[in-house]
Amino acid sequence: CALRARDSWGIFAFLCAALCNLPAVPALNGTEELGAGQSIQKTYDLTRYLEHQLRTLAGTYLNYLGPPFNEPDFNPPRLARAEQVPSATVDLDLWRGLTDNARLAANYRAYSRLLCYLRGLDGQVGTVELRHRLGHFCSSLQGLVLSIAGVMSSLGYPLPAGPAGPPAPPGAPAAPNDFLKKMDDFWLLKELQTWLWRSAKDFNRLKKKVPPAVVTLRMEARGF
Amino acid sequence: MANPVPSACCVVLAAVVVVYAQRHSQQDSHIQYERVGADVTMKCGSMDWDAAVTWTANGTDIDDSHLNGSYLILKNVDLTQSGQYSCYEGSSWHLKYQTYLRVGVPPKEPVLMCRSNNYPKGFYCSWHLPSPTYIPNSFNISVIHGTREMVCEKDIFPKNRCHIRYLQLFSTVKYKVTLTVTNALGKNSTTLTFDEFAIVKPDPPESVVAKPVPNNPRRLEVSWQNPSSWPDPESFPLKFFLRYRPLILDQWQHVELSDGTSHTITDAYAGKEYIIQVAAKDNDIGTWSDWSVAVHATPWTEEPKHLTTEVQITGETLTQHKHPALRSPGYGGPQH
Repeated sequence: CALRARDSWGIFAFLCAALCNLPAVPALNGTEELGAGQSIQKTYDLTRYLEHQLRTLAGTYLNYLGPPFNEPDFNPPRLARAEQVPSATVDLDLWRGLTDNARLAANYRAYSRLLCYLRGLDGQVGTVELRHRLGHFCSSLQGLVLSIAGVMSSLGYPLPAGPAGPPAPPGAPAAPNDFLKKMDDFWLLKELQTWLWRSAKDFNRLKKKVPPAVVTLRMEARGF
Repeated sequence: MANPVPSACCVVLAAVVVVYAQRHSQQDSHIQYERVGADVTMKCGSMDWDAAVTWTANGTDIDDSHLNGSYLILKNVDLTQSGQYSCYEGSSWHLKYQTYLRVGVPPKEPVLMCRSNNYPKGFYCSWHLPSPTYIPNSFNISVIHGTREMVCEKDIFPKNRCHIRYLQLFSTVKYKVTLTVTNALGKNSTTLTFDEFAIVKPDPPESVVAKPVPNNPRRLEVSWQNPSSWPDPESFPLKFFLRYRPLILDQWQHVELSDGTSHTITDAYAGKEYIIQVAAKDNDIGTWSDWSVAVHATPWTEEPKHLTTEVQITGETLTQHKHPALRSPGYGGPQH
């Protein structure tokens, strides 16, 4: 699905704020106050926070789905339909060789998509408490998407046009039965968990490779 | 064409030799595996039941009470009854049958462990039997990842260990490892199912060194290195956990360090010997390593000044300096 209107506005507002504040920035005194390094660290911290939140949320949700989904050894084969959810799995050398732009873009696309799917769960879930938790998690996940967007823009990278691949049609291939629907939910949570683990490693690499001085140079080049 | 008659003779002769050798080698290399507590009946080759034979166990004659005709009956065998059993024809003392009896038990469920100490390269699995079987066992390990069967390469040393290289990282599909142990008396198996992230456990930090800090009686400087088995600390940084206590106390103090491979303890008790250990963990996934080898260190202490003693002898005051060589050793220098 496409990003909701308010997400686009959110990003636009963020970018506006960033751009508007640029001339007001005094000659950088070398601190990381506005550096990409700081936002990368913030994004990294967000992924850790979300991973922690997800542990509790997933436990509760899987219990709501009931057995066998909440069994620790549950190890089903992946069905073709599950391929719609973006996978974090990647060849090791390929992962290592990703450019910063590609690395960030992959994260941005994945979480945008995952956020859409998660929001799709929201209306149908059983208990109030679970709905509340899910809602809170979605907000945090949106914060992550915005944070990644912030890092990309501060490094001068264009935001990816939209979720990769063709947007699912409105009556998106709904699961034909209850069990398969639950299976979809199971894989969604699993991919989310794996992506959060992967992002921690992605942002670790970015931390090391992107010094704050990069932003300083760009500012000087623009004559601020 | 060569004369066929001598050729035919050669063929027949060869066949006879082969058959004779086979029968002889069967007698020599026959091994028989039996369970502890079983009843074993040994027949003396092709001899009739009522033939007169003598059985020996490892060269020692076996008493007639164990015989049923020419059959040897061993009831409720135990481990001590393993050995070579031979059957000789009564009068000619001709060896008729020989077997090697090995008493053992079928394998219990093996113990299997898998661990990734070299993430993201791969992982290894190692196994052992909880109790001995007393007879030879063979192990077979299978690793299944989704639909794919992966090959776990056996290590030469240590035995009972194999390793696998990851083909993909950040996998959502679990790994399923099954170990089957088989021997002549039975088989058993165990299975482990795990996520890529769950088994990550580095080796302990290496080269831990603790030194006193000159002129600082409450400080100790500790430094260490990443375990050498961890292939990529740049992309997969480790965090560390330090624990220390004076030898005389039981309670540890802990410090968690998210980066760097050194730390200065600033609250050591002056003059007390400390024991210090460090553990490592991937920053984000898996579990803590075992504790490193313990190092000992004592904080710096001030060297005592020259002692003076005043002695009053009939109105005179003599000041005596203690000879420097008499100062007790071990003060103020670095501890090892």
